[in-house]
Amino acid sequence: MSPTVLVVGELHEGHALPSTVETIGVARTLAGTPAEVVVLLVGSHARSAAPELGNAGVSRVLVDEDARLDTAPVAAIAVVAAAAAQSLEVDLVLVGGTAFGRDLTGRLAARWNATAASGATEIQRDGSAFRVRRPVFGGRATETVRLSGPRSVVSLRPHAFQPPPASPTNPAVEPAPKVEIPAGLLAPRRTGIEPVASGLGPSLTDASIVVSGGRGLRAPENFHLVEELATALGAAVGASRAVTDAGWRPTSLQVGQTGRAVSPQLYIAVGISGAIQHLVGMVSSRVIVAINSDGSAPIFKVADYGIVGDLFQIVPALTQEVRRARGT
Amino acid sequence: MEIVVCVKPVPEAETRLRVRPDGKGLDPEGVKFVLAGYDESALEQALLLKEAVAGSRVHAIACGPAPRSEEVLRASIALGADQATWVEAAAETADDPIAVARTLAGAIRAVPHDLVLSGKQAGDHEEGLVGAALGEFLGVPDFGAVLDLRFDPGSARLRFRRATESGQELWESPLPCVVALQQAWNDPRTAKLPAILKSRKAPIARVPPIAPEGAQAVTERFELPAPRSGAKMIEFQTPEEAAQKLVRLLREEAKVFP
Repeated sequence: MSPTVLVVGELHEGHALPSTVETIGVARTLAGTPAEVVVLLVGSHARSAAPELGNAGVSRVLVDEDARLDTAPVAAIAVVAAAAAQSLEVDLVLVGGTAFGRDLTGRLAARWNATAASGATEIQRDGSAFRVRRPVFGGRATETVRLSGPRSVVSLRPHAFQPPPASPTNPAVEPAPKVEIPAGLLAPRRTGIEPVASGLGPSLTDASIVVSGGRGLRAPENFHLVEELATALGAAVGASRAVTDAGWRPTSLQVGQTGRAVSPQLYIAVGISGAIQHLVGMVSSRVIVAINSDGSAPIFKVADYGIVGDLFQIVPALTQEVRRARGT
Repeated sequence: MEIVVCVKPVPEAETRLRVRPDGKGLDPEGVKFVLAGYDESALEQALLLKEAVAGSRVHAIACGPAPRSEEVLRASIALGADQATWVEAAAETADDPIAVARTLAGAIRAVPHDLVLSGKQAGDHEEGLVGAALGEFLGVPDFGAVLDLRFDPGSARLRFRRATESGQELWESPLPCVVALQQAWNDPRTAKLPAILKSRKAPIARVPPIAPEGAQAVTERFELPAPRSGAKMIEFQTPEEAAQKLVRLLREEAKVFP
């Protein structure tokens, strides 16, 4: 079977990101047989990272070990990806919808003369065309886009898909097609990276999980309860306007009409009563959990799951349970 | 420095969304269109660079339907853009990000451009693809999710940060390039009344649209979520029991547990 789907993997510190593994899972469901899925890895860690993709059922990995790609802009990587897509004659390139993945999607689509969509939460094949469902308007609506093909590039919304079931294989590792990268695309350089400070977590608007705290926490020194739960979940921290107005936390964390609008997969509101100005900023979240001592609080009207109780007992117990369940 | 800023009209944030009768898009009836938030940051960034680098000019370009595209160009002029170009395109074309990038590239190639700025995405379709595709069509590097952009006149290079999942990346790049801005790290200015009045009479160059070519992305369905029916309340005796029940529901029923 000739390959039909190329996945462009993303490595961080020599390992594939979870979004890359999720993307491989989707590629497998679209391809029919594992042999139709090929993964491209670039940079000095490409070869050493390839075997671990075998756990996700990948049987063929193309590697371009050009170390310049470690610090090169996405434009240079798109040159390599386009050459690989061209030589494999696939009709779909899939990437995880990270900052890198979204950039690559646009760049590669333009270079490979393809149609594109980003942040897909569903994708279906329709001959050589694809149908993609994706949230729009901050999650307040959903659209279905038809990419007419014959070549498509799609990035997948991180966390929207389960990682594939483990089916260990020993992937064949081959060099990617050799291609000249224009000097102009290698002139820009990444000079460093400041890792996300621990406890700060992912950015509020891009996070798949957000844990927000409100006035119910009573004092700034109690806000760590929210932050610890967020850390245990790998979530971003948010706050209600009461909290940011009181100066407990910076306004950059404020969720609501005058702050950020978020639409994560999971939103946990801790000690937030649910003023309308807060609700408009988070109501489009996929699943909402409210923890509040007042069972008549409006937040429970928009929540999917509610716990009425003392947050000073519930939240630490929840943090503990999350750590246990995640094995951390 | 010749700075081009790509601007897009989007429905105002408070817009009550309604589905068009054919089910294929937002009903534009009665919707007020404004400059997209990230594009507003991009324009502010352009104006800051213009103030910092003597002899710079800011050129706003929009690709889309009348009258909303012209309106955001006038708003850009009122904020301080020196020049504006409108490439008229049907709303459907304006919804296909690769087609938009191809069209914008055609207009940008015809004018001086050292730096092309845009928002990282617009608040309607939120594709975030135009900047990157534009870079490719123009044959220059592009950078998405950028914050804290500075120009270093000594090295004639841009220095900036990018917000990624792994942290904040530090970058430097020569010109020309395309930069898509992450968020309002700057505090966009508001237009003064005399400037708004003056912008109504400002000339806007009109460029004919180029015919769409190649494959297309078409919205087939546009849906609003069903209203929520109220929370499932978790019964418990101890905080530990509440925690266990919630984690189980998130994992097995809602399937959102990480």
